[in-house]
Amino acid sequence: MAALCRRFTAALRLSGARPGSTLAGLPGLRLNLFHKNLAKAEPLHQLKFLHTTLSRKGLEEFFDDPRNWGEKTVKSGDAWNIKQLRGKSSEDLHKLWYVLLKEKNMLLTLEQESKRQLKPMPSPERLEKVEKSMKNIDLVVKEREIALRLLQTGHEKPVPGEWRHDFLGRTYWYSYKEWPIPWYLNKKYKRRKFYYLPHVDRFIRLRLEKSLRIKARRQNLERTRQKVLERKFPHLAVKSQSQ
Amino acid sequence: MATGVRKAVYPLFQLGGPQLRIFRPNFFMLAVRPGVPQPEDTVQFRVSMEMTKVDIKNYLEKIYNVPVAAVRTRIQYGANNKRNHKNQRVKKPDYKVAYVQLGQGQTFQFPNLFPEKEQDAEARSFDDFKDKYMEREKQRQKGDPRRGGVPDWFGL
Repeated sequence: MAALCRRFTAALRLSGARPGSTLAGLPGLRLNLFHKNLAKAEPLHQLKFLHTTLSRKGLEEFFDDPRNWGEKTVKSGDAWNIKQLRGKSSEDLHKLWYVLLKEKNMLLTLEQESKRQLKPMPSPERLEKVEKSMKNIDLVVKEREIALRLLQTGHEKPVPGEWRHDFLGRTYWYSYKEWPIPWYLNKKYKRRKFYYLPHVDRFIRLRLEKSLRIKARRQNLERTRQKVLERKFPHLAVKSQSQ
Repeated sequence: MATGVRKAVYPLFQLGGPQLRIFRPNFFMLAVRPGVPQPEDTVQFRVSMEMTKVDIKNYLEKIYNVPVAAVRTRIQYGANNKRNHKNQRVKKPDYKVAYVQLGQGQTFQFPNLFPEKEQDAEARSFDDFKDKYMEREKQRQKGDPRRGGVPDWFGL
């Protein structure tokens, strides 16, 4: 089996699933239920042997399996999609992150070495898969953080903020920062302007007009392009209208 | 957690505040073959620009379980002497290089990741078939030996 898949199964083994199961064949819900049962029940005798921590081989982990050295292609499983990851506990996600991080380092090393030796990298799509999986883990963890924060504090964002104007009347999201001194003693903060004077109104109006004009011009261009196309290919236009 | 798209917001330091912790670090670290020969116990890495020497030491010790004695870093300036078709300078990105000395008398030799492998049976049979096919084609191109080198054009 491929290195990626092997590591994924290793991670799965960490989560207490069966060792032979492939990652795609495990629906998230079932895994979750399985996990809940595990937490309640006493650890079974058979499961004890399945708890294998990742082998930390040291610097060899920066390189692929020696069996894959010199191969043109290396087989690998699919990236972790977000549905599979939603079914995992936070602890498992944390562990999986480190598995993927090591895999990414290994692939980057391989990529650099292949660049140096002017040879094609074996199966470069693995790198994209790992990056996609890491992005998905990040998304899931962020979702959970937001849910927990909403439950505990009622805020969606980790840092509170508000909409403010700058001195040109543009509106933007200002997120609050921590300051070591109160704001009225803070010269740097007091120098900033979160308001605009009445003479700016004219420029706000001009800015609005400009944006509207750009938008109208873009729409006009699109419409004329459509008309030209219809004139050029009348049979296609009739066909698309009839359908 | 300090790099890339994600931006961590750490609380302002106050005496007695909790220690800063990194969850899900996205620092990368790749071993490279040293261009200049290094001592036996030294490993060369390319690391994220944001990593410090302490970060590198902790990364190797905590994640990879590698004993680290000393870390030295430098920043490699990416060349900008290439020009594009508009004669503008094209900059290659800078990167940070770390020289890590291993502890506990460990040594490291960068392995050859692209060894010449002896072909397996399938590839060899495919190559044989290809060679035979090429030979046959060449023979066909040469034409009939009985014609004595006279081109086809003159035949009936």
